[in-house]
Parts: sequence; C-alpha cells; structure tokens
Amino acid sequence: MRRSAAAKLFVERLAPDDIVVCGLGSTGRAWREQNAPHLTYWASDPMGMAPSLALGLALARPERRIVLLEGDGDLLMNLGVLVTIAGAAPTNLRAAVFINDRYETGGGQPLPNARAIGFAQLAAGAGWRWTGEAHDETQAPRLVSGLLEVEGPGFLALHVEAEASPYPTDPGPTSQAEDRTIFQRRLAGGR
Amino acid sequence: MSATNEAAIAERVTAALVRARVEIAASLPDSWLSALIARIEAEPKIKHVRVTREDDGAGICAGASLGGKRAVLVCQNAGLLLSANALAGYAHHHQLPFLILAVYRGTHEDRFYYQMYKGLVTEPLLRGIGVPYHVADRPEDLDIVEDAIRESELARKPVVLLMRHAALTGGAS
Repeated sequence: MRRSAAAKLFVERLAPDDIVVCGLGSTGRAWREQNAPHLTYWASDPMGMAPSLALGLALARPERRIVLLEGDGDLLMNLGVLVTIAGAAPTNLRAAVFINDRYETGGGQPLPNARAIGFAQLAAGAGWRWTGEAHDETQAPRLVSGLLEVEGPGFLALHVEAEASPYPTDPGPTSQAEDRTIFQRRLAGGR
Repeated sequence: MSATNEAAIAERVTAALVRARVEIAASLPDSWLSALIARIEAEPKIKHVRVTREDDGAGICAGASLGGKRAVLVCQNAGLLLSANALAGYAHHHQLPFLILAVYRGTHEDRFYYQMYKGLVTEPLLRGIGVPYHVADRPEDLDIVEDAIRESELARKPVVLLMRHAALTGGAS
C-alpha cells in the first residue's frame, strides 16, 4: 500500500471534529499532501515526542477524538511511551503507525531489526486496549474503520511501501510557533 | 518529624498547583519526591500520569499546554538531562509553557556518590538550552510555584524549579 493511500483512508473516515497529531517525516508529509480539513498539529521536532504530546492533548481535550499518525522510526525513539499511554488509558486517543521499515527522510536507511519488529504486538504487550495490523490495502480499510470505532486507546500498525520522501526545499509559510498559535485559535473555535 | 514535614510541604505545593489551575501532572519517581507524588496522586483536581521516561512527561505537558490546560512535570534533575532535546524544542521551536518541579540531586545535601555528576551539569545544561530555572533552597522558596507558572506562560517556555532536599523536608535528614 502506498503511503498516500493509507493517509487517504483516514481523510475518508475521520469525523469533522477529529484532531490529528502527526509525527515527523514521511508520515506527516503524506498527511499534509491530503489537504485534509481536520485540525492538525505537526508535532515534529523533537523526534520521538509526538506520541506523548498526543497523550497530553487527549487528556486536555477529552471531548475530542485525537488521532496520532506516526512513523515507525519516530516511535522507536521511545517505545516506553506505549506503556505510558496504556497506563493513562485515554479513551479518546487512537494511534496509527505507518511502517516502511526505514528512516525515509534521512535517506532510506533501514531501521534496526527492520521487517522483524512486531509493532502491534509491542502495543498489545504494553497494554493497549485494542490493536490491529494491516499488511496491505485489502486489510487496511476495515482496520482503519475498526481503529476509529473502538474505545481507545487503540493502535493500528499499517504497512506501507518504501517511497522516497525528501526534505521540503522551501522553509514553509509559518514557523512552528505560528503553527501552534493557529492550531490553538482553531481549537478554541476561531478561524 | 521528617515525614510530617514532607507531607505538609507536599500539601503546600499541591495547593499552589491547584490554585494555579494545574490539571495534569506527569511524574517519574525519586526518593525525595515520594510525599509530593503521593499527594498529587491523591488530588482529585489533577490528573496524574506515571511516565516511563521524563521526556514523555515533557511531551504530555506540552500536549496539555497545546490543548489549553496547565500541566506540571515532577521528576529528578536526571530527567532534565535526559529531556534536553525535548525541552529545547518546546522552549524555542513550539514555544509551549509548562512547569517542571525537579529535585536537585548531586549537591552538598546528597549522600550518594553516583548522584554527584548531576549536580555539576544541571544548571549549565539549563542555561545552555535557554530554559529558565529557579532554585528552591528552603520550603518557603516553593511559594514561587504560581509565579513560575505565570513566568512560563509569559515567556512561552517551560520553567524549571530545582528543589533542594531541605526545601522538600524543611531541613530534616
């Protein structure tokens, strides 16, 4: 399954008031390319911090469903966060990890123990309430729907093709702090 | 008397957090923090999250801040060393405010040789990454909690309160 197809599954299934938190790298760029209307916070950098930030946001806004779109390399920075999230047990948090087995933005280098890591098993072992694993595009639509329907915390491992995703060449229209301000204004109901 | 003092001081700090409308706390234990973490855990107005690494706690506080809620990370100063990248990112890149209450291990008060390196490098690290901090030497210095939270919001940065053993115990050993 292509990364863009995986991201599109979420565009098609998220409710209008769902909030997306993106980890760094190719997963975040795949979501950005969808131009989805959903309120989104790009949590990068620092690398590895998106899951805990998503947890804090989920605890702060229990009335909103928070969907973390995360990369496998980003999650491997801190697997302990799987236990922290399971312990906090936020019912409004879902996580989907895009697995391409390599550090795409950094040049496509393989992950340690690439293709042999059981991400869904790691989440299940950490105590996540619901876990699933989609190996291809025939399994993914049903499991993305399932992830969104169950009570959180829910975790879906989504295997995607390795596709080049180089660094953006322009600096972007806004700084991270400006993005944060815009996000908070929209979260508060403004435009 | 030590346990009584620690409990009273934990009560005072937690009351300040509640007055400041802190609603989320993340913690990783240290033996000097037992009373404070226990009191926060018992506080119904604060959601307490136990973390596996201190930078998880920084991320939780940043996410809570992003969502419009005040948050505090309670940890040892080793957690500041571990969280340097996260703290610098939230201070300068995201500009998200929250409070960190960190015990100040590795100084003249300590009894353990393996803590000592932390005392040497904590303040230089915080200066190096540009994260404001204060040192609480005595229990009354902890009354800065509410001001430190306001400072973090004015500066759009995490602010650290380094707490000496005497501040958390009233000087009992």
